Amino acid sequence: MPWVTDIHPTTEELNACVQCGLCLPVCPTFRLTGRETASPRGRLHAMSAVHQGLVEVDEAFASILDFCLGCRACEPVCPGLVPYGRALEGARAEIVEQVPGRGNRRRWLLGAGLGSRSLMGAATTAVSLAQRLGLTRLAPGRLRRLASGMRKLSARPPATVGHTGGSGDAGTIALLAGCIQDQWFGGVNHTAIELLERAGHRVTVPVTQTCCGALAAHDGKAAEARRLAERNVRALGSADLVVATAAGCSAHLIGYGHWADGGQAMASKTVDVTVAVARAIEEGRLPRLRGTRGPIAVQDPCHLRHGQRVVDEPRMILRAAGYEVVEIDDAALCCGAAGIYTVLQPEASERLGNQKAAQVRSTGVSRVSSANPGCEMQLRSHLGSDYVVRHPIEWYAMAVDEEFAG
Amino acid sequence: MSLLAELRAVLGREDVLEEPVELYVYSKDASLMRGEATAVVFPQDSAEVAEIVRVAERHGVPIVARGAGTGLAAGASPTEGGIVLSTTAMTSLEIDPENRTAWVGAGVINLDLSKAAEPFGLHFAPDPSSQSACTIGGNVANNSGGPHCLAEGSTTSHVLGLEVVLAGGEVVTLGGDAPDTPGLDLKGVIVGSEGTLGIVTRALVRLLPIEPDVRTLLMDFPDMEGAARTVSQVIAAGLVPAALELMDQRMTVAVENWLHAGLPIDSAAVLLAEVVGETVGVESQAQLIADIGRANRAKKVQIAADAAERDLLWKGRKSAFGAIAQLAPDYYLHDAVVPRTKLVETMTAVYDIADKYDLTMLNVFHAGDGNLHPLIAFDASDPEVNRRVHQAGDEIVAICLKNGGALSGEHGIGVEKRDLMRTSFSELDLDAQARLKDVFDPGRVFNPNKILPEGSRCFDFGGVRREIPDGAWV
Ligand SMILES: Cc1cc2nc3c(=O)[nH]c(=O)nc-3n(C[C@H](O)[C@H](O)[C@H](O)COP(=O)(O)OP(=O)(O)OC[C@H]3O[C@@H](n4cnc5c(N)ncnc54)[C@H](O)[C@@H]3O)c2cc1C
Ligand code: SF4
Ligand code: SF4
Repeated sequence: MPWVTDIHPTTEELNACVQCGLCLPVCPTFRLTGRETASPRGRLHAMSAVHQGLVEVDEAFASILDFCLGCRACEPVCPGLVPYGRALEGARAEIVEQVPGRGNRRRWLLGAGLGSRSLMGAATTAVSLAQRLGLTRLAPGRLRRLASGMRKLSARPPATVGHTGGSGDAGTIALLAGCIQDQWFGGVNHTAIELLERAGHRVTVPVTQTCCGALAAHDGKAAEARRLAERNVRALGSADLVVATAAGCSAHLIGYGHWADGGQAMASKTVDVTVAVARAIEEGRLPRLRGTRGPIAVQDPCHLRHGQRVVDEPRMILRAAGYEVVEIDDAALCCGAAGIYTVLQPEASERLGNQKAAQVRSTGVSRVSSANPGCEMQLRSHLGSDYVVRHPIEWYAMAVDEEFAG
Repeated sequence: MSLLAELRAVLGREDVLEEPVELYVYSKDASLMRGEATAVVFPQDSAEVAEIVRVAERHGVPIVARGAGTGLAAGASPTEGGIVLSTTAMTSLEIDPENRTAWVGAGVINLDLSKAAEPFGLHFAPDPSSQSACTIGGNVANNSGGPHCLAEGSTTSHVLGLEVVLAGGEVVTLGGDAPDTPGLDLKGVIVGSEGTLGIVTRALVRLLPIEPDVRTLLMDFPDMEGAARTVSQVIAAGLVPAALELMDQRMTVAVENWLHAGLPIDSAAVLLAEVVGETVGVESQAQLIADIGRANRAKKVQIAADAAERDLLWKGRKSAFGAIAQLAPDYYLHDAVVPRTKLVETMTAVYDIADKYDLTMLNVFHAGDGNLHPLIAFDASDPEVNRRVHQAGDEIVAICLKNGGALSGEHGIGVEKRDLMRTSFSELDLDAQARLKDVFDPGRVFNPNKILPEGSRCFDFGGVRREIPDGAWV
């Protein structure tokens, strides 16, 4: 077997695929290209070829796997219950180890930034300055695309790390702040804390926590992913409930069983913030509002819908606030953000982003709800400034403020 | 020029795959049988297909058409090597709502066609369980059917015309929208030919109005006889349900263990029936079916009140495939039609065979047209089990045929069932089919050695062993 890591795709994972092809039509990259090599079945097939020693982990293999978004839309439709996302992480780890060029590019991109609060802080100050001076327009194409999707940053965003508050009648919550989320989407974390405390939770945002490790894991940096997971289990694992506000982070925490000792125990009490808030509304700990507030188009982040099968909660939250929920895409195809995909596969990312934007435009609704920072940026950059994109709990909190102010 | 160089010259470098790992990915469809392609190509239209055919003929290499590769009979596996011609770039679609027809590129996905037709109140009737993935070209080539083909017929009843690329790269249009095109029905010859006579590039299909209303019933019976008699009597009463699907107890238990949907696991048989049409009509038909069921000792009759309940009733049936995927790594499936009157007798015999060979056998099938899918779940890595599965399979086919049945081509014949053709057709029949193949494909480039067993022309028996299909739909 030409695998060299201990997290390579396993015989069971690969044999679970009966090659029925039912995953093809839900795969965004297959839809774009019509190529089996860009489909879940094809990618598993390629992994099997390596597993059997028929081909090497080489450039050709790497390009098949690199084109995958990791959106996991292929999982819910699979009758064989193939754990595709897990197998993909294994295959990516192999690529990082065995295909020097590919590995380096990913290492460089992920670099030291994520997971280091001071570096993220420095980056944030720089971007905020650039935004104010209008320099983002001068950035090279791919980065300009990224920059145009960002929220307006303040040079020193009020981070939530270190916060503790709330009564705790409804139990304690440890909040994973998330590296990008806390610095660049801080509003979401503040809203989450406000709502969850109002719902009777004691919310802590422990300082000892770190990046969830999702990007490291998706991009093959296994040792790094393990180190981060273990640290978070120690930092967050003792609360009654662990909550993350970015769907990409919550999805990864739920898979901690693979990454850390005690990871499974923590995973079983981890939920996305939309689930925690929906639950509080359901149980009457947060209000249902009476007013009607017009339509909002709902985008489903892949890591929420496909990775966690959370579909109803964001809709329920919006409805409870009096918004009319407008669907944009039954199949919930990926918007093309997908972590660092925007940078690694700019063409496909661009096409998927445009496709998603067109779906939003065709609803005629200018307010959009998205529960993941990456998707939010992608949507904003493809939709332009006439559209407002916010997290569902932010839409909810805005309505609550309005109702109780008026 | 080399084969690859010529292909690149025709299509451009991007649309010709030749890396080993890429070729491996295209080495098989949803069956177990693997081949080895030299190249994979993605033509955009019939003109490019014609060029590819000419290149293949010059080099004397086979062309294997491939839609979505959901076929279960190795029809799209390049078992004789050569060029895999993927149709996924041929996705043109023109709907003519007034005439209720559509010209559809071969690579268009079945369900995408119905979705595109929905705004006009129309749909494409053939609904194989793989409809979310499989292509119109594959449906035409396999003459595919589905649960709802009982009333409306399989793909062949819905194809009005075909654009086909024949030997020599000749592009022809067979049939058309005139009610009865003059001359021989050559389009009918192409439907079901599994890519052995030419490459379908576009199809003119009939679209049917979406039925205004629907009633779905689920009934469970203490014995298979009661369920089978209900099926016969429903049809004898002149009803033509859109679907009549039966699951046996073993299947129900397997699905329930996986799904936990509250299925009646202590009943011998579960029958799902669906009627479509105007509200008044479907209401009375549903009542009639329920009455017939009760007269045959149905224990419980559920009629879906709304779309959500309907989905729930179908869920068990539609999850059969998943349940089997959970049960064992491999399946062996036969596809045979028996007269409805012989259903119970055949089933009993089939169970006996499974018991004799100590194998796990489950049944879920299109009862309305007597289409059985006896299915054995097993682990192919044990050669001894493999042998038993083969023997049981042969006996199952024999008993179906003895009871007046026929092999069904619903899932294609391909390579997997090729050698069973001898059990259904006389030497004379096979010879005629082989001659037809020769007329269409003198250079033997189109999917050679599929459908027709080795030596159909000179009657040399024996030889190639059949492989065991996996990934089977039921
Ligand atoms: C889960 C599952 C459920 C299924 N359910 C059903 C069912 O209910 N009913 C049913 O009938 N089948 C069923 N099938 C079998 C299969 O899906 C159908 O036969 C389907 O029509 C194949 O379409 P495809 O596009 O995948 O064709 P492929 O598998 O790619 O090809 C099938 C055959 O058609 C030929 N072919 C494909 N395109 C062309 C073309 N343009 N011109 C000439 N030849 C061509 C190929 O060479 C091959 O011989 C099922 C399969 C699976 C995996
Ligand atoms: S749906 Fe699952 S079993 Fe079927 S081909 Fe895709 S990954 Fe394999
Ligand atoms: S994760 Fe997304 S892009 Fe990757 S194979 Fe699955 S569906 Fe396709």
